[in-house]
Amino acid sequence: MYSKEELFLAISTVIDPEVGFNLVEMGLIYDAKCDDEGNAHVTMTLSTKACPMHQMILQWVKESVEKMANIKNVEVELVWEPAWNITMADDNVKKALGGA
Amino acid sequence: MFSISQDFAPPFKLISPFFILGSLFYLLASVFIFFFTSDNLLLQDPKVLSFVHLFLLGFVMMVIFGAMAQLIPVVLEVGHSAVELFYVIWPLLGIGTILMVVGFLGFPALLPYGGTVVLISMMIFVMEIFSTIKKVKKLNIVMGSVLISNTFLFFGIIFGLVMALGYAGTIEVDIMSLLRSHVYLVIGGYIAITLMGLSVVLLPMFGLSHGFSMRPLEVSITLMSTSVVLVVISSFVKYALIEYTAYTLALASMVFYFYLVYTIFKTRARKELDIYAISLIYAYFSMLVALGLGVAYLASSYEPLLLASGWLIFFGFFGFAITGHIYKIVPFLVWFERFSPLVGKEKVPMLADMLPKKSSHAQFVFCAVGVSIIAVAILLQDDTLMKAGASFLVVGASALVRNVFYMINFK
Repeated sequence: MYSKEELFLAISTVIDPEVGFNLVEMGLIYDAKCDDEGNAHVTMTLSTKACPMHQMILQWVKESVEKMANIKNVEVELVWEPAWNITMADDNVKKALGGA
Repeated sequence: MFSISQDFAPPFKLISPFFILGSLFYLLASVFIFFFTSDNLLLQDPKVLSFVHLFLLGFVMMVIFGAMAQLIPVVLEVGHSAVELFYVIWPLLGIGTILMVVGFLGFPALLPYGGTVVLISMMIFVMEIFSTIKKVKKLNIVMGSVLISNTFLFFGIIFGLVMALGYAGTIEVDIMSLLRSHVYLVIGGYIAITLMGLSVVLLPMFGLSHGFSMRPLEVSITLMSTSVVLVVISSFVKYALIEYTAYTLALASMVFYFYLVYTIFKTRARKELDIYAISLIYAYFSMLVALGLGVAYLASSYEPLLLASGWLIFFGFFGFAITGHIYKIVPFLVWFERFSPLVGKEKVPMLADMLPKKSSHAQFVFCAVGVSIIAVAILLQDDTLMKAGASFLVVGASALVRNVFYMINFK
């Protein structure tokens, strides 16, 4: 129903309030797919395991996909492998953080 | 729909008094420095003891306890056992601190009362943490550090209460032999090990560091724990070798800890030098200088070296490590309470927007200059320089109080 790019575009509205970048450009969203019935599945990670906003961020990701037309169900899977690192972020993020 | 667990987010009204009171005690401790002269710059002087308790209990412990209310569920990955108990911890700690500070200043009869109130406050804290830890199925090194540090705190406050009873003349004890254990259990055992454990959570979280080894933390905590136990033993068994072995282990522990911090710093993705980063850099620099002064004291027995080392550990290391984290933790708590429900509905501020940038930098500059000048004043035993440093520090501490209120009232 929706391509990975379309789902990523929807999720890119979610911004990490600590660093000020969206989750997609941070490289935190590993995969996203959606079947013809409107069941979406997002695979993502977080920059740290001990994130106090852990549950909120997952909720925002879920809500950002739920806003898309004809989406019936959204599953957000949080994984820790592969572990996130700055090389997964977009160049503009790396540059802004000073890691480029 | 995911639910946001309130276990992981204690209400802001529960935590905010810790930060407000903590910053006010920081200001009071800064004002206190005006009343020191080179005559009473002695480790056993009641004014020094009063000041140390004002700073450590009123500021360091108050802010650490408040931060722990929020961080314990994050670190232990379980909800608090009874988070409501934090509503009584801060009033008891505040009242107990004031009673002890006044008690040391000339009303020793107040010391057992103040000591008991502080004891009750800390026991409630320790028991709440222990019962929360019981919910954890498998302890990792960070969780283990919470368990170890709180065990040391438990014994440290018992030693403190016995000493307070001794000061008041209620019981007869050898205060000097208990003093070292009390100081080491609380400062080395609780504060240092707590900061070490939290370092591997908070420093990588804010610096986006990855790929560093946790092994130096394990070694560091093991060495510091052994050091604390040996110091306690040396209070009862008068054998100099045990005591000096303990100091050597503490020094080695700090070397491993600094190596850990260095690797976290080296692997960080976030390079910007914000108020958090510069506060921590000053804190770690102070600690390095303090360690150098401590070693010089062991070699020379010149007491001002020990006092200056203690000053830099307290106001330099603890002070700046804590104020730096206040600028991260308080905006998060306010943001979580006030703005997180608005996400997706309207534009919300970023955490960095909630910081008073100029005022926080002014706080850093005035406090850093003040702390540095006072360290030199202690070494030179110079009253005028001491007052000059205190002037800077009071301006910086006033800015801290203002900044805490600014962040808490951010709308």
